[in-house]
Amino acid sequence: MIQVKNVTKKYGNFYAVRNINFEVKDGEIVGFLGRNGAGKSTTMNMITGFIEPTEGSIIVNGYNIDSKPKKVKKEIGYMPEGTPLYSDLTVKEFVTYMAELKLIPRKERKEAVKEAIKSTGLELVQNTLTRNLSRGYKQRVSMAGAIVGNPKILILDEPTVGLDPKQVIEIRELIKSFRKDHTVLISSHILSEISQICEKVIIIDKGEILAVDTTKHLEDNTSENTVLKISVDDINNKFLSIKDEIPEIINIKLTDENDEDKTKEYLVEASSKTDIRKQIFSICAKNEITILEMKKVENSLEDAFIKLVENRPEYSKKEIKKMQYEKELEELREEEKNKKEEKELKKQAKKEEKARKRANKIEKKEKKKEEKEKGGDK
Amino acid sequence: MLAIIKKELKSYLLTPVGYIFIGLFLLIFSVFFYINIFTSRVINFEYLFYNGATILTFLTPILTMRMFAEERKTGTEQLLLTSPRSITATVLGKFFAAGIIMIITELFTLMYFFILKHFGHPSLQVAISTLFGFFLLSLAYISFGMFASSITENQIVASVLTIGVFLLMWFLPDAISIFNIFCLIYKFENFAIGVISVSEIITFVSFTVLFILLTIITLQRRKCIR
Repeated sequence: MIQVKNVTKKYGNFYAVRNINFEVKDGEIVGFLGRNGAGKSTTMNMITGFIEPTEGSIIVNGYNIDSKPKKVKKEIGYMPEGTPLYSDLTVKEFVTYMAELKLIPRKERKEAVKEAIKSTGLELVQNTLTRNLSRGYKQRVSMAGAIVGNPKILILDEPTVGLDPKQVIEIRELIKSFRKDHTVLISSHILSEISQICEKVIIIDKGEILAVDTTKHLEDNTSENTVLKISVDDINNKFLSIKDEIPEIINIKLTDENDEDKTKEYLVEASSKTDIRKQIFSICAKNEITILEMKKVENSLEDAFIKLVENRPEYSKKEIKKMQYEKELEELREEEKNKKEEKELKKQAKKEEKARKRANKIEKKEKKKEEKEKGGDK
Repeated sequence: MLAIIKKELKSYLLTPVGYIFIGLFLLIFSVFFYINIFTSRVINFEYLFYNGATILTFLTPILTMRMFAEERKTGTEQLLLTSPRSITATVLGKFFAAGIIMIITELFTLMYFFILKHFGHPSLQVAISTLFGFFLLSLAYISFGMFASSITENQIVASVLTIGVFLLMWFLPDAISIFNIFCLIYKFENFAIGVISVSEIITFVSFTVLFILLTIITLQRRKCIR
């Protein structure tokens, strides 16, 4: 368990971290979320004993880092940001050196190194110099250095930064595998990553903690309104009239119009959290509007983050607008990706259909031939 | 500490650093040996180490400049200082590893003793005293070089600072006699004439311990200002 109590880190008049409090319980994977320069690495460095807080106390598994630094450091496996490695050592030598630094007894060391190399998938490169490895592998070596000796607490500072998507997935899976018997604190400025790995999130900004909550809770509490995404086949353009029939609807926005199949996509915002899907369904049926798709728009962690920071006085409108713009851009990219995928699926389906038709034709022809032959024989 | 000594020795001997230091030292040492023979026609083992002290002034940074500066620059300092090993063990590990390289270098210089022994009768006692004094001098130089490396992340700054201070310690006493106490090369000269005095040993040891302590304090203090 990690307990951070009233911790402040000050450089001159600048507060890198100001009076932060949080707790990470045993077995939890907690995401430490914040923009670059928010104070994530400073906090992690204080927990690992690399830097000293100006005020406050940090307790790890019952030991105070100030009075029992050696005991605290023994409990922690730390993967610093930027994967610092000794370039003149091979992977195995590096992990062994980390095991020696962590005071793992000689008898257990060999096995611990083997285990760490195996669980990070480094067996094939264990005799390669770390400087000759790709970024993804370097990241794994750093991770192996952190997990060697099976420390109860893992602190991973931006473990997936700079990796390609495949490597990100691999590292993510690796972190998820620690869930059973480790307490993990992982920092990132990529929200989607945190929401995929962690159950709990600590949002930090400008050195202050804005929220400590589960990802689900944060996402649910972001908006008081319900937003539905509805695709309809509406030849008579009657969909907008449903607003008059359902008083809970605040706004209906046309987001997409497909010229090929004449379908339209709307975002319907309703004021309360009551489910208006049934009402929409029956009204649409009455007005001969075919609903092709209707789904509730889930609030993302991005929304939660923006909502949390937009009320802060330190943020200028410009900054918030930039964040919103970035979010919209991300959404557009996601949509574009989904559309491409959909198109490909349609293409695939068409191809399959054609192939099936062809197969049917051939089958029919063969049947006819057989029948003819039988007729001839008779 | 043993782990750190092992790792440091590896990085001295698996990279060119250790070989450059030993090679350059012996090369310049041999040049002085050659020049002394052909210019003054008189040579003794102890005299060679006066030149050795000069060489050490300029070559010590090869061993010491990367000790902490490089760790700080590459970020591996974080791995060291977040491990349960104490800062004292880390500093001493690095110091002893450099000391071992110095012992290896000194062992190589013994060949000149055997060359001289083949042609003449050099005194073994004076040779031992010289080697002992030279070892103490080199440890003192290493401790300062290590300290210089701990206060910056730039290896060049660390080496310039080291050489600069060594030159000051060497020449300042000539100008102002009060600084005599800081001239380690003068202290070494007594060893080279076969005199092992307690006061000189204390000077070397206290200089070495002082800068080892200052290195430890610097690293500990940086926890607060980092």
